[in-house]
Amino acid sequence: MGSLEGIITGFQTAFSFEAILFVLIGVFVGTIIGMLPGLGPISAIAIMIPMTFGMEPSVALIMMAGVYYGAIFGGSTSSILLNAPGVSGTVATAFDGYPMAQQGKAGKALAIVAIASFVGGTVSVVLLMLLAPALSSVAISFGPPAYFALMVLGFTAIASLSEGSTIKALISAVAGFMVVTIGIDAQTGTQRFTFGSINLLDGIDFLVIALGLFAIAEVCTLVLNRKDNTMKNFHNIGSLRLSKQDFKEMSGPMSRQSLLGFIIGVLPGAGATIASFIAYITEKRISKKPEEFGKGSVKGLAAPETANNAATSGSFVPLLSLGIPGSGTTAVMLGAFLVMGVQPGPMLMTERPEIFWGVIASMYIGNVFLLILNLPLIPYFAKVLKIPRPMLISLVVVFSMIGVYAVSFNTFDLYMLLLFGAIGFIMRLFSFPAPPFILAFILGGMLEQSFRQSLTISNGDLSIFITNPISCALLILSLLSFAFPLYGQLRKKKVS
Amino acid sequence: MKKYLLALVVLLALILAACGDNGADDEAVEADAEATETESSDATESESSETASDWEPEEAIEFIAPAGAGGGWDTTARMAAQVFSEEGIIDQPIGVVNMEGGGGAEAWAHVAGFEGNPYKIFVSSPPIIFVPLNGQSEYGHEDFTPLANIIADYAAFAVRADAKWDSITELFEDMKEDPESITVVGASSPGSMDHMQFVQIAKAAGVDITKIRYVSAQDGGGMTQLLNGSVDVYSTGVAETVEQVRAGNIKVLGITSEERLEGEVLEDFPTVKEQGIDETFVNWRGFFGPPNMPPEAVAYYETKFKELSDSDAFAEIRSQFGWDEFYMNSEEYSKFLDEQKEVLAELMDELGLGN
Repeated sequence: MGSLEGIITGFQTAFSFEAILFVLIGVFVGTIIGMLPGLGPISAIAIMIPMTFGMEPSVALIMMAGVYYGAIFGGSTSSILLNAPGVSGTVATAFDGYPMAQQGKAGKALAIVAIASFVGGTVSVVLLMLLAPALSSVAISFGPPAYFALMVLGFTAIASLSEGSTIKALISAVAGFMVVTIGIDAQTGTQRFTFGSINLLDGIDFLVIALGLFAIAEVCTLVLNRKDNTMKNFHNIGSLRLSKQDFKEMSGPMSRQSLLGFIIGVLPGAGATIASFIAYITEKRISKKPEEFGKGSVKGLAAPETANNAATSGSFVPLLSLGIPGSGTTAVMLGAFLVMGVQPGPMLMTERPEIFWGVIASMYIGNVFLLILNLPLIPYFAKVLKIPRPMLISLVVVFSMIGVYAVSFNTFDLYMLLLFGAIGFIMRLFSFPAPPFILAFILGGMLEQSFRQSLTISNGDLSIFITNPISCALLILSLLSFAFPLYGQLRKKKVS
Repeated sequence: MKKYLLALVVLLALILAACGDNGADDEAVEADAEATETESSDATESESSETASDWEPEEAIEFIAPAGAGGGWDTTARMAAQVFSEEGIIDQPIGVVNMEGGGGAEAWAHVAGFEGNPYKIFVSSPPIIFVPLNGQSEYGHEDFTPLANIIADYAAFAVRADAKWDSITELFEDMKEDPESITVVGASSPGSMDHMQFVQIAKAAGVDITKIRYVSAQDGGGMTQLLNGSVDVYSTGVAETVEQVRAGNIKVLGITSEERLEGEVLEDFPTVKEQGIDETFVNWRGFFGPPNMPPEAVAYYETKFKELSDSDAFAEIRSQFGWDEFYMNSEEYSKFLDEQKEVLAELMDELGLGN
């Protein structure tokens, strides 16, 4: 199919001076946008569309792709430093990144993230290049029952996302699941729990929940525990240097999660957020020291960061080879392609190889640029932490509010942010963990919708989940992942 | 360290200033609007029924896309604004604003509050009929001033290339026999566009529409589910099907336009009408103003949108996005919308949807 020729054309496009320049611009803009909560890649790409008129389509698209993966790359910074995830794909990064920063190792955390992101990004581009044509069949292999089973597998992780009481973790997850049902139900078109308010018709935005439960709740805690000494290291940034031990710890999660993240990214609708959570959970499951997770574990930080970057490259498979946008961002990218007169789809690879392979080849360059841009800047980013605490706290509140407002331009969401901040704070007071809440919120919508889609398709017959091979395999895996820790606990009890 | 702190503060100040600016602009627009409103009502009184378009905008015009960036409404608004400015059809600057929420409901509620304001224009399409019928917005098309329709798009019903049906009539024959044996997928929820466009045609073909099994799948799920065999029929827009048809993965059984469309691939799509089902469905797209916009302003926009529709630049954009030309002036548009609403309300009653 002339694939090699196509790849060479792609590299020629990607290594032209113009393309290199615009990749640099793209990833730079992306990094900045990712860092600021609320300014996501969606709005950035949409704003860029009119600016790219008259540009060579391949170059313009290379730049926009750069914004997209640059934003995921940069999004981790505010998660780590401020516990305020800038992009939804980086919530799981805060689980171990923020504790690490609190221990005075912010520099190390940012360095781990930069390297993990680079590895995830680069490995997945290699996979993309080798497998893109073949993978389009993988992208469509998941029907509703398979998505349902994948979400179930994610849900089995709730227990492992919490410390202490499993009951409290489950309550927290149920609350998250309840909140996600707010809004218009896609399968019937009826309103649920909107109380007649048009502000609630679309449900509650993910960013409102994430910033409320993490950033605002953290601010409340910081204000109340002013004299707490556990935070005295927070102003330390620490060394950027990673020890051999660190690299050894990272190599496992990085190699596994580049692959897993990429595969999840290939599935339309799954994307970087789900990939990062599943990466975190699997690493915790197979780790010999799961108790370190959530307290600043190197593995716990490297896993979601590798996966979300790998998933971002993965999401180009359905977009480029099928013309199917799997997420809000890729939908805007699709719009950008159309404006350029390029129609992504099964014919793109043979008809416009310079675009198909050019965009992919440029990701190598983009990832190298991201690493070069980000590593030297770490000490400067991390200096944010040297800001006196009262000012830092106010900054977090202001940035969270701007972030939420920038998504919807609706003041109602600001009240919701405060409400979820209060809920998050109360949850902390009574030690209900927030991660299960956010996990249930992210997975719950798709869990419910795919369950009901499956049942509509099967006319209400539950056996559809067993007869579908992918769904069946994933459900068995969920069962195992549920039974395994239980068995372990029982055995431990017997021994003691 | 102080330097960075300073930089941060400056950045923050900039962001705040940008946001503040927006607010100030809005207020300015409001204040000006009030001023022009009184002016224009004076004008109507003195010049009585003169409809000649002697009204000219005196300030920036706002085009609202009641959805997020990147969708159909957003693209239409941005493309129209661009041609208006680049071709010099309208001299005043045009700003495109995205106002997402409630499938349009939030933007409509917002615009409804600017009665008589000739500077707040929004783009809309069939959802402004569906959403209120579903009880999700208290405002419908009759609450606004329709200015002009500019483009049309049509529905396409696609099946896998190896499916047993080769025409829409064969599909509907099977559905008449056992409507529950076939699953239809679309991106919108029941009672909204992808669902109702299929229902409307199926009804005309004599299918029991209360028994149609419909699945809603967002984020590209519709095409995925069709390709992997989870569902049988994909109800979508014509443009969405073209690439997969060219690749030989799917076939289009019918489209809902009056006549066949032009362009390669597109011209091969049979209409449902030529297959003996006397029904069409138009995904029209046009522009609306706030309630009771002064007639001079309406006349002004009518002529400007006509100029836009006739321009070569916009013709090029139409062909780029696969849109059809479909101009209607304000009066024709209102009448068209009323008729559409009647037809759809009846269908939804039969389905037991809406309130």
